[in-house]
Amino acid sequence: MDGRVSLNQVAMHFGDFTAIQPTTLEIESGEFFSFLGPSGCGKTTLLNIISGFLSPSEGDVAIGDSDMTRVPVNRRPTAMIFQNLALFPLMSVYENIEFGLEVRGIDRRRRRQKADELLALVALEGSGHKPVGDLSGGQKQRIAIARALAVEPRVLLLDEPLSALDLKLRQHMRTELKAIQRKTGITFIYITHDQGEALTMSDRVAVMSAGRIEQVADPATLYRQPASDFVASFVGENNRFSGRVMKIDGDTVTLDASLTVPVAGRAIAGTDALTVGAPATLYVRPEQWRVGAADDTRLPLAGVIENEHFEGAWLTLDVALAQGPRVRVHVAQSTAQESPDLSLSAGMSCRLDYTPARAIVLPAEVGEEVGEEGAHVATTV
Amino acid sequence: MWRQLCDRFGMPLGMAVVALMGIWLILMVLLPQWQMIDYSLHPSLLPAEQGGEKDVWTLANYATFFQNEIHLSIFFKTIWSSVLVTALTLAVSYPLAYYLAKVARPGQAALCLLLLIIPFWINEILRTFAWYIIFAFRGPLNELLFALGLIDRPIRFLNGDIGVLVGMVYAYILFMVFPLYNAIESLDRNQIRAARDLGAGWIRTHRRIVIPHAKPGIATGCIMTFMLAAGSYAVPALLGAPGSRWFTQIIYNWFFEGGDWNQGAAYAFLLLALCIVFVTLVMRLFKVGLGDIAR
Repeated sequence: MDGRVSLNQVAMHFGDFTAIQPTTLEIESGEFFSFLGPSGCGKTTLLNIISGFLSPSEGDVAIGDSDMTRVPVNRRPTAMIFQNLALFPLMSVYENIEFGLEVRGIDRRRRRQKADELLALVALEGSGHKPVGDLSGGQKQRIAIARALAVEPRVLLLDEPLSALDLKLRQHMRTELKAIQRKTGITFIYITHDQGEALTMSDRVAVMSAGRIEQVADPATLYRQPASDFVASFVGENNRFSGRVMKIDGDTVTLDASLTVPVAGRAIAGTDALTVGAPATLYVRPEQWRVGAADDTRLPLAGVIENEHFEGAWLTLDVALAQGPRVRVHVAQSTAQESPDLSLSAGMSCRLDYTPARAIVLPAEVGEEVGEEGAHVATTV
Repeated sequence: MWRQLCDRFGMPLGMAVVALMGIWLILMVLLPQWQMIDYSLHPSLLPAEQGGEKDVWTLANYATFFQNEIHLSIFFKTIWSSVLVTALTLAVSYPLAYYLAKVARPGQAALCLLLLIIPFWINEILRTFAWYIIFAFRGPLNELLFALGLIDRPIRFLNGDIGVLVGMVYAYILFMVFPLYNAIESLDRNQIRAARDLGAGWIRTHRRIVIPHAKPGIATGCIMTFMLAAGSYAVPALLGAPGSRWFTQIIYNWFFEGGDWNQGAAYAFLLLALCIVFVTLVMRLFKVGLGDIAR
């Protein structure tokens, strides 16, 4: 069963609007692949192109070795799980699961047998005769999975299927989806704007913005080595310092970001695009900061805590640096407990430091210039 | 219900609403109907004899119907033709309603609906006359078919049932399109997409997903069309031939040609009663409740 999905120069235009820029992408057979991006980035359009609900303005779609570009939706070896699940409300659980088999002309006995197997897979044995309206949200979710798996798709497409569930159930379903994917070996293509979902479940993630894939990588690489400003800001939180390159030493780049001291980070994409004097951006993750007391001059950056939020495992601080920009800092609960003399509440002064080897530097993107006020920091959640 | 009315409008206004409804029902519906029932159960008499010894309760007017084979056959033909009209109207309206509800963009749908409604600003009789002209022996339709080379001599559309069927489908199409449109419109588009995605072709998607969902709308449209067709007078009178007489024409004749209101009232009630029985049977058959239709 070859569930490889190949997109070759696929583009989609709606009138003058380009929903998908020409995109080439290979999704491996049996991979859990996610498209992550804000709403309107084109991820759903791409999913519709793979499923066959839309045919691309340009380019080809192939599944395995067969070209699918002109194959209608009902003849593709894909199955979709819809955001609202779209279970058939007038049918029982059995009828829902068996619908795709009925279409394929499979006889009643084998249909029922298959449906029972699938109900066992999603741990809902014995609820086949219930009307779907009687099921809870999580159960509906599983029936939708069973219904899609019934047609033995080579590729399963999931369009933000967990967004309607509450937090606990959502986290539970993540584990379950991943388990089902491993058990069945089917290629899963998952669409979401929730980075938690994308990062926890996926083998690889494509981060999309404005109809373009910004980066395709495994979750750890996305987080540690974002390839673009968008990825660095969208995936996880980041403190962003714009400045000009002062010094390049190996892959360590020092920036003048109009702070009290120069700041340095690692140029993860190489230093080719960076020259002394060129604009660049430094990214420091909130959890990379070290926080010290106001008189601890070993830490170079001074600031005042504006807000503090208790988040359970960590403490979130918004610290206004002496030169103006505000940064977000996560202090692990264990750290806070180990240093009881460190007072981390709103209004207190503190000092900050980070490890340059873990901070990253990207060349500023075209059109981006350092503002008059020098450094500005964007925190994205 | 009384409680709900009072909660919503307050006691005085609630009472006023109920009173108005009562007056409407009694004056506009019950009293006239009662008058007709009363007529139908009395023999037709000269004014002088009314209230006299001949003015007795009788079922003779109803018996007349069952003894008259021609009237019986026209009655059943009316029912059958109305079923045919309903089926044809459904066949024409369903694709249209589906297109309007699920395929057309909002602007297109609004334009289509407007184009559908505009002809209905014209009186039904005038619209029927328009069809009379179209269907005429030397009329535009025959000319067109002739010009296209489809026929070598004109067809007498107005001689048989074709004219009546087409005229009625046209006259009642809106009563079918709107309930269908409303029903199909409320179907989640993802239901259709899910069926397609699971491999269903268009026919199966409609048979298993769209039509079951639209069933209340289909039932409403069919009942309205059927009742209107069975009770229609203008269309069969104008577009029909002597061979395609409608039962309403018999009723008309009793009232205005025969001057026998008592007999006419009995016939009118028979039509009403049998239509209700027929509709009830069909609703049973398709497992549609009154509640579904009121939705």
